[in-house]
Amino acid sequence: MKLLDLIKQNGEWLAPGGPKSEVVISSRVRLARNLEGFAFMSKAGRAQRADLHRLCRQRLLALPAEQPLFYVDFEQTDDIDRQLLVERHLISKQHAAGEGSRGVAVSIDEAVSIMVNEEDHLRFQVLRSGLRLRECWQQAEALDHLAQEQFNYAYSERLGYLTACPTNVGTGLRVSVMLHLPALKLTGEIEKIVRAAKDTHLAIRGLFGEGTEAIGDFYQISNQTTLGRSEEEILGEFNDALTPGIIKAELAARAQLEQERPLALDDRIGRAIGVLRHARLLSTEETLYFLSHLRLGVAMGRITGLELETINRLFLQIQPAHLQRLLGRPLDGEARKAARAELVRQILAVKPP
Amino acid sequence: MKKCDRCHRPATVHMTEISEGKAMELHLCDQCAAAAGYVQQAHIPVNEILNQLLQAKSRSGEAEPLRCPECGMSWREFKDTGLLGCAKDYEVFAAQLQGVIESTQQGATHHTGKPKGGRAEASSAVALRQTELNRLRKELSRAVQKECYEEAAKLRDQIKAMENAPEPSVGPGPQPTGAA
Ligand SMILES: [Zn+2]
Ligand SMILES: [Zn+2]
Repeated sequence: MKLLDLIKQNGEWLAPGGPKSEVVISSRVRLARNLEGFAFMSKAGRAQRADLHRLCRQRLLALPAEQPLFYVDFEQTDDIDRQLLVERHLISKQHAAGEGSRGVAVSIDEAVSIMVNEEDHLRFQVLRSGLRLRECWQQAEALDHLAQEQFNYAYSERLGYLTACPTNVGTGLRVSVMLHLPALKLTGEIEKIVRAAKDTHLAIRGLFGEGTEAIGDFYQISNQTTLGRSEEEILGEFNDALTPGIIKAELAARAQLEQERPLALDDRIGRAIGVLRHARLLSTEETLYFLSHLRLGVAMGRITGLELETINRLFLQIQPAHLQRLLGRPLDGEARKAARAELVRQILAVKPP
Repeated sequence: MKKCDRCHRPATVHMTEISEGKAMELHLCDQCAAAAGYVQQAHIPVNEILNQLLQAKSRSGEAEPLRCPECGMSWREFKDTGLLGCAKDYEVFAAQLQGVIESTQQGATHHTGKPKGGRAEASSAVALRQTELNRLRKELSRAVQKECYEEAAKLRDQIKAMENAPEPSVGPGPQPTGAA
């Protein structure tokens, strides 16, 4: 498996037919683990980093995991390769930008990735399309259980799994869902949701763009506390109470738009189609903005002849590293805008809406 | 206006701490109360809480030459990065970390999830007990804040009783399920 092969596939988390896919793009579970007897990364010298990396890589690849894993050693990659992994949600931005001996193990279907030498020695991630946190958790837990036979985790009876940052201590569990909330944004109710999420000790942030301003109306919500509650409690709250509540609010907002402002709604969608099918230069931000409205139109059945899957693929491929790998050459700002517009035109022209 | 017991700022948090059956009055400013883990600041992102706590600690000006014997981490260094140097730091800096952990973890002090070497349990005896303890501790701090001292004392006794009760079997190996 080579990195280049990845761009041809859609990635598990963009697969069609995930539960509640009209609102929930993907579900993710992450477990932070460290190895007893090795300093955390901030105090790990060059030699220890290299040793740890070698050890983790070897043992991870030997795990009898459901799906074979392949390994990407970051000292043998360039910036674009690592950016590609960020765009595919297989590694964090920090891991891409980090230094020294490090890497990631990825399952062939991209549902599983295990970062080595990020903030913690090991970070297991399971990512799936739609609202499927329990499935993600079961897979992550099984993997963690297999890994426990290979690694002696740093653990305390009182504080649980010990992590480099005390905000992850305990379960080391971070669960998150990526949501598309264009109707709540259009009706202005998104502020209420953001406030409510914060009151419940959840972190909410825009998926693209920095800070809370979300480009393309994508939001990621995750738990903030990892100590004092069991994994089941953390998951249950998220999967059974919180996310369904937000989905319901988004769907109600969509129904409201459809009933009260159908013309304004179709105008938004129509403008998006117009720009995306005819523009010759498109920036990432602009494309995300219009793709969001296009996705809303498809999800609500106001446009036919287009699949959510096609739009999901576009979200991935219009990003800088994907674009450059697809075209097989590095592109500067203006050339990238032109290439992006061309790609979008081609894909949307196949079946004119 | 009363001044904070620990620094010069005006006190905004007034409470009575019950320890060993004696009530002790405490007056603290926001920062010192947060640093001591008495107040939860739900609306502030974790990083800000951490920074506030760390700044409050550094303003108090105590010289802390303490270093981890294994990795050499000092408290000052942790303040700068928010990252610990090794697992041992959780013991070395246990006292300082307590406030940081409690305020970033909604007052939780104990792990109740998957045990090392075991499987995650939806409802193991240990997990249930810890969850209940955490709930009582949270209620206690709420009662103290609302100055409901009778209720606080009752909660305090309940917590003590639970803490002193024999532990449901905890071991490094896999947890047996079923009968406790
Ligand atoms: Zn003070
Ligand atoms: Zn240390």
